[in-house]
Amino acid sequence: MSRVASTVPPRGVRAVVLAALLGLVAAGCGYSDTPLPEPSAAASSSAAPAATVRCDNATQSYAPDATGGASVRTIKQRKRLIAGVSADSLLLGANDPLDNRIKGFDIDVAQAIAEALGVKLQLRVISAADRIPLLQQGAIDIVARNFTMNCARWQQVAFSAVYYSAAQKVLVRRDDEASFTGASSLRGKKVCAPRGSTSLDNIPRLLPGAEPVAATNHAGCLILFQRGEADAITGDDTVLAGLVAQDRYAVVPEQKALTREPYGIGMNKDDVDLVRFVNAVLERREADGRWQRSYDRWLRPALSGADARPPAPEYGR
Amino acid sequence: MSTVAPVPAGRPAPPAAPGSARSTGSTTAADPTGLPAPGRDMVVDTPGLLNRWQLIGMSVAVVFAVVSALLQVLGWQADGRAADDTEQLIRVQNIQSSLLRADALATNAFLVGGLEDPAQRAEYERTVDDVQRLIADAAQAQPADEKVLAALNVEVGDYTTAVAQARDNNRQLFPVGAEYLSDASTSLRTEATPLLAALVKANTARADDSMAGQHPWWLLLVGAVAVAGLVWINQQLARTFRRRINVGVAVAAGLVAVTTLVAAASAFVNDSSNDQLRRGDLAVATAQAQARTAANDAKASESLRLIRRGSGAAFEEQWKASAATVQRTLQRGTADSWRAYREAHRRIVQADDAGDWEGAVKLATGTADTGSTATFDRFDEESAQLVGASGAVVTAELRSGREVALGLSLLTLLLGAVAAAAVARGIAQRRGEFA
Repeated sequence: MSRVASTVPPRGVRAVVLAALLGLVAAGCGYSDTPLPEPSAAASSSAAPAATVRCDNATQSYAPDATGGASVRTIKQRKRLIAGVSADSLLLGANDPLDNRIKGFDIDVAQAIAEALGVKLQLRVISAADRIPLLQQGAIDIVARNFTMNCARWQQVAFSAVYYSAAQKVLVRRDDEASFTGASSLRGKKVCAPRGSTSLDNIPRLLPGAEPVAATNHAGCLILFQRGEADAITGDDTVLAGLVAQDRYAVVPEQKALTREPYGIGMNKDDVDLVRFVNAVLERREADGRWQRSYDRWLRPALSGADARPPAPEYGR
Repeated sequence: MSTVAPVPAGRPAPPAAPGSARSTGSTTAADPTGLPAPGRDMVVDTPGLLNRWQLIGMSVAVVFAVVSALLQVLGWQADGRAADDTEQLIRVQNIQSSLLRADALATNAFLVGGLEDPAQRAEYERTVDDVQRLIADAAQAQPADEKVLAALNVEVGDYTTAVAQARDNNRQLFPVGAEYLSDASTSLRTEATPLLAALVKANTARADDSMAGQHPWWLLLVGAVAVAGLVWINQQLARTFRRRINVGVAVAAGLVAVTTLVAAASAFVNDSSNDQLRRGDLAVATAQAQARTAANDAKASESLRLIRRGSGAAFEEQWKASAATVQRTLQRGTADSWRAYREAHRRIVQADDAGDWEGAVKLATGTADTGSTATFDRFDEESAQLVGASGAVVTAELRSGREVALGLSLLTLLLGAVAAAAVARGIAQRRGEFA
């Protein structure tokens, strides 16, 4: 009898067994949570304004001359004119999804230059911030991308004569149109403009109290505007007209222009012969009505049918 | 060891009456019954000692049985977890590949311009559906991943919304559509990719961990300690009773030794087969999944490069980095189709760099058998198949033969009980002799 009883494990043994069992099972079945990665820091949304440089001949270019020199020869030998353009500025330079071709007022100018040179036009899509560096590197021959001529830029690149005179304005939500009275209406509001553009640089001076928000380009500003992350967009009236055409809830209210934005074709500082050649093309284009036809096609309907004449060229550099 | 000290109350105290009688006066000198002759003038409570040794011996056998069985159950559990963990790892890698596949399809469709190819559109939809289903499956399969998967779900929602907005705008010929698309692609890489990387990392660690969940050395150690304990008891008995071997204790030690050897051998076999899986099919599945993800990333970069039309240098750098990853990780049988795609890509770059953008786009979107899309689709298909097949082998292997491990652990418990009984019986014999 005692033998039978002895085969039952004593209570102490059972306690050890139980503890071991619990310990081992507990050790075996825990998964620690997968750590959630830290969200990436949001890209800085404001850019430092460019230094102001003063001069009184920002719209002055080199006198036209269709003979050309070394840089014109290089392009002719290459048989391609490489133009930096926008593919997202409706009316000025935008890709047409139907046929995948970039079209617009700026593109017409580039096309005219390529034709005059007798070469093929190669379009290279660039952002506003790319314009100056790519010209300086010689990666592109010209910039035909709503490029405002100003004194600071003249120190880095060269411009043709003015081929269009735009005006910087503000686009707002349709709801805000009635209450819009000018710059003061934008106090405390988020105003978007592309990085590297004069429009962005101008915000603190022209729209005091507004919070500048930067995007890669105006299409990026439209996305922020549609998502409610920007209350307004500032830019040239030409560009804003293109944005309004893509969003029926966006309007450019009646307003005084914030600045005048003379557009020139940008070129490398050393390519003076090319600048002269381009100026000759621009003159011919204005004289034979191509400028007017291009304006009528692209800009007139969007700018409420406003009449416009080609700006008078200024030379003397 | 508190387990041996007290003789539990209520237990029929082994031969209490004679024990106590003897405990006072007996065992002083050699006993004619052949019982101990300590040769020292001290009073020894032999029945008490016998009780204690019986307790120790039985405890050794029972504790051995329980610990050894538990170790085996843990190994059995680990194999089950390893199957689940590798399945989850392959699942999250699949989410990663599919998401980038969706992006490659969306960007390529955009490049075509005009109305997208309905087949390509349908494949995009199917891929996104897959991603969403996989995320739900993954959250159910591994609750520890839930938080990250929830965050990923939000990103996927944002991505598909942006792609839909891109498409709607594109259909109205608004250039903002292209911006929505490139924005979506960029956010996918900056927001969703880190989440997927975290999931892959955590699940790789889990799978590695559970695949290393066999404990052959511990089994051996536990067995060795138990055998040593029984040998020690045998020695005590031998010293007291002048018999070299107590049959019961010897049987118990033998059972413990044999059980240990079988269990450890089985664990060793399991361990090395897990190692083989880890280095074999699992490595193939995870590496190829990585290659497939990187390849789809590359294909999307190719489209984005062309969408940027001449300003895609940054995307070409991305393409090169992704291609290097593919080259490093791709597995057997997929190298040919990758080489074919790489050649197609080279022709695209050549055309684009020479200023022939239209030609480059035609190459990137055309349906020619040697074109970028056809060659890429072949690689993607082969990769998906290889990942699926290798992953299935891994989980099937890990799940097969698990019953044997469980059976062995039950057998260990049973044999432990038998060993304990043998100890009890062996010592009871001595007690009988003593009485």
